[in-house]
Amino acid sequence: MSWEKALIDKAKEIIDMYPQKRSALGPLLYLAQEKDGYISNDSIVEISNLIGITEVQVKSVASFYSMYKEEQTGKYLLSVCKSISCEINDSRSVIDSVKNFTGLENYETDTEKVFTFEEVECIGACGGAPAVQVNYETVEGLTPEKSLQMCEWLKEERPEIIVAEELQEKFGGVKSFDWAIKDNTGSSYSVPGFQNIGTAKEKS
Amino acid sequence: MTDQIKINVNGSEISSKPDQLIIEACEDSGIHIPRFCWHKRMDPVGMCRMCLVEVETPRGKALVPSCTTKVSEDLVVDTESDVVKKAQEGVLEFLLINHPLDCPVCDKAGECPLQDQTMAYGPGESRFVEDKRHFEKPIPISEIILLDRERCILCARCTRFSDEISGDPLIEFIQRGNKTQVNTFPDEPFRSYFSGNTVQICPVGALTSSSYRFKARPWDLKKVSSTSNCSSVGDSVELNVSQNKMLRILGEDNEFTNQGWLSDKGRYNFEYLHSDKRIETPILVKNSNKELTINETMELISNEILTSENPNISFIVGHNSTNEEYYALNKFVENLNKVENENTVSTTNFYLSDDYLYNGFFNDDYSLGEIKDLDSADTIILWAQDIKDNLPTLYLRIKQAVKNGKKLLIFGHTNTAIKELSEEYYGENIVTNNFEFNVDLSDIPNLSKYIDGKDVLAIIGKASPLQNVNPIFQLVKHLDQNSNLKILNCFSKGNTLGALQNLDIVKGLNEFVTEFDSSKKNIVFTVGSNPVNNSIYSHKIKEALIDSDFVVSLDLFKNETTELSDIILPTTTFGEKEGTFTNLEMRTLMQNKILPTPGSALNEWEYWLILSNKMNLLESYGTEAELNSMLCKDYIDNGNIPSFDNLNKPSNLDGILNSKTINIEVKNIDSTNLEILFVHRLYGDSSSQINSPSISMLGSERFIEMNSATYFGSYMLHSDVVTLIQENNSIQVNVNINENLPDNLLVIPINRRGFQDLNPEKKVELEAAKSREQLSVT
Ligand code: SF4
Ligand code: FES
Ligand code: FES
Repeated sequence: MSWEKALIDKAKEIIDMYPQKRSALGPLLYLAQEKDGYISNDSIVEISNLIGITEVQVKSVASFYSMYKEEQTGKYLLSVCKSISCEINDSRSVIDSVKNFTGLENYETDTEKVFTFEEVECIGACGGAPAVQVNYETVEGLTPEKSLQMCEWLKEERPEIIVAEELQEKFGGVKSFDWAIKDNTGSSYSVPGFQNIGTAKEKS
Repeated sequence: MTDQIKINVNGSEISSKPDQLIIEACEDSGIHIPRFCWHKRMDPVGMCRMCLVEVETPRGKALVPSCTTKVSEDLVVDTESDVVKKAQEGVLEFLLINHPLDCPVCDKAGECPLQDQTMAYGPGESRFVEDKRHFEKPIPISEIILLDRERCILCARCTRFSDEISGDPLIEFIQRGNKTQVNTFPDEPFRSYFSGNTVQICPVGALTSSSYRFKARPWDLKKVSSTSNCSSVGDSVELNVSQNKMLRILGEDNEFTNQGWLSDKGRYNFEYLHSDKRIETPILVKNSNKELTINETMELISNEILTSENPNISFIVGHNSTNEEYYALNKFVENLNKVENENTVSTTNFYLSDDYLYNGFFNDDYSLGEIKDLDSADTIILWAQDIKDNLPTLYLRIKQAVKNGKKLLIFGHTNTAIKELSEEYYGENIVTNNFEFNVDLSDIPNLSKYIDGKDVLAIIGKASPLQNVNPIFQLVKHLDQNSNLKILNCFSKGNTLGALQNLDIVKGLNEFVTEFDSSKKNIVFTVGSNPVNNSIYSHKIKEALIDSDFVVSLDLFKNETTELSDIILPTTTFGEKEGTFTNLEMRTLMQNKILPTPGSALNEWEYWLILSNKMNLLESYGTEAELNSMLCKDYIDNGNIPSFDNLNKPSNLDGILNSKTINIEVKNIDSTNLEILFVHRLYGDSSSQINSPSISMLGSERFIEMNSATYFGSYMLHSDVVTLIQENNSIQVNVNINENLPDNLLVIPINRRGFQDLNPEKKVELEAAKSREQLSVT
């Protein structure tokens, strides 16, 4: 589906933040991802028209980075870290419990499009290993039980906006350090919540 | 020389330009460093690592890619050390991990850099026992190019070419890591005028041409260098032939002209040579296409000329003849004029079949430029027909010059396709739809900034067939008064300059039509031209030919013109004849013969010779070489003549610049048509293209262009298919919207089928036809 005027206006605002139109490619791909849960070919055409590069050039970038999804994700993207620090702190059992609950293998999405599960490389929360991200909002110090509870909660509550603080409070354990600035914004759908491009969402 | 520095390579000293890359400096001194991704006409990327060499650094020896490292004074380089060899082996072993071993069925085998370098520098054995990565075997990425992703070694030559050189990046790397592949966007094929170049520079068999697939093995090919007729740039090419069939044309790197690149038309327009539609014997058309011997036809023609009462004899010439052929024709006509009998020939005239012919800038007044001046000028001015469609390789040179910082100023709306390259685009506010100035030249915004006291190369030609030429002269005069001006005369078609240099006085098709006097006895020769198609004068020429008493066509195929001929004489073309070709900067290059003459066809000059003999006109030549030495006598600089001997010297393979007196007599046109701009597209319905199956479909779409204001406003169309109506003609066409066009202008490609019957001076009407969906056209 092609983009509506409001989205195009937002895209144009973002483009104006850069000296060269094509530099806005990254953020615009996030807008596309937020819209559909993946980068659709229609969005690629829109972006290509907006910033004046060819569709295949947009596709090239979109398919290179793993945070731009080529297939639609579920409402909640569960990214469980499998890198070294988490591995040492038994991320295996966290992975197993998430997999068990959702019934998903790596990169799979359930039919109701609630969860997408992926194993990822280090998410920069080694001090609080094992760590998980839900729609790119980080929870640290998880246990298999807590991660199970978290999945159940997500499934029951279906929160519109995921906020790291809230997850941490409810399900987290040891934290790597105190995230100095209190941040109550989070993300909706499988896109990181960025203030400057408007993907950060206020939880009411 | 002070601008040279010394570096040490493998123990011996070589000199190099400062700032050169190590790989280039070594190459210039004859030291070859293996490479896949580096190409001297493109920016380096350091993608493949095959070019690793050892250099000495303050911290000891280090391996560096020689294609991204520049030389410096006293740099010590080793290209053959054990470490380098080990690195090369390693790189090759990695490249071969996923490369399929399908060389026996690969088009590239035998001329494959990967194959050759594996032989020369490879490890000899593979340690890889796992499964190779698999992709679907070749997928078409356009009508003429196929891509086998398994074979790709990710050198990025093709993607860089399409981005940097041709400027239509429709192929890119998709995915990452082991899955990386070159591909197009779905439903957005690699439709580029230059796509064939990627096949030539791909270092493996990943990109192949549909026209050459499985046709030959490189070691079976016979090769010869030649010059392409595709445009008047005169691209240097290599013709590849096997079993007397042309199978492939490759670009050759001529520093002065195409620098190795070709347009797809120049590369793939050759299958017609072997079409079974080629005419191979003389044909008497008006006698139910009876085939004749050469002798019989020559008898008929000479009788016709000698027995007609004071005939007007006209020659409508095309642009694919060699200089020698034009010269022989000129000689024939000279002698014809001398024949004295009771029926003396009353007039003879040469008309060049090119709607864009005008008097141009020759012989004194202004200094003429060369293509290479694009690289040294400060400013490039473009006032001409669509460069990308008509002089595709010149477009590449302009694009490159702009990339290197030259300022491009474009006048008018014929070059909308390259608007984004221009510093200033002087469109409808400056010139009218028919190229007349709207403003005083000194008031053109920013013009003086870019020209005053600057080195300016102006590419100047008639932009539209119907334009009044006074504004061209006005512009040139203004430029000349304010800048150091050089002019590149923009005549776009094949060997136009050869015709101009070797025919005494050349006129245009409009002259043919207006001078045609049906009350006289008219004998018309069409020589390698098909003026009843592809010209804005086609419909009038058709009438004139019908009214003519005797028409002789020298051609390769039956076409719209030969339908009206009395006699068709089969001739030879590109690859089948030897001769010289003169490009738009008056650089003369060699065209070589590598194919036998089909059937009983003769070279054009042979017909003129036989005809002369039949008519007892004295001729003193018997071969191309003799013609060549005769025509070489009237070059202006007689120290540097483009004779066969000179052109075959290794130092002259890039051609020889020289000039001759040129006389063009084209009258200014006073009728204009502000609604329609007639243009020539790269692909059309020429006999050569429609008889080349690999590219014939590229010129088949019929479309017109206009901007959306015109589309919705003036014509109130709401359909992408419209009917174009003029008097009794109606043609169904697609509409392409081009926002760079001025209001109220329709652009019509005259070289696409169906447009030749339009009267260029009259209006057309448009009516919405049913939409494509309604018509269920796919
Ligand atoms: S297709 Fe050929 S030219 Fe293009 S990246 Fe692959 S190997 Fe290089
Ligand atoms: S290893 Fe898991 S967050 Fe760094
Ligand atoms: S040629 Fe230098 S890295 Fe490829």
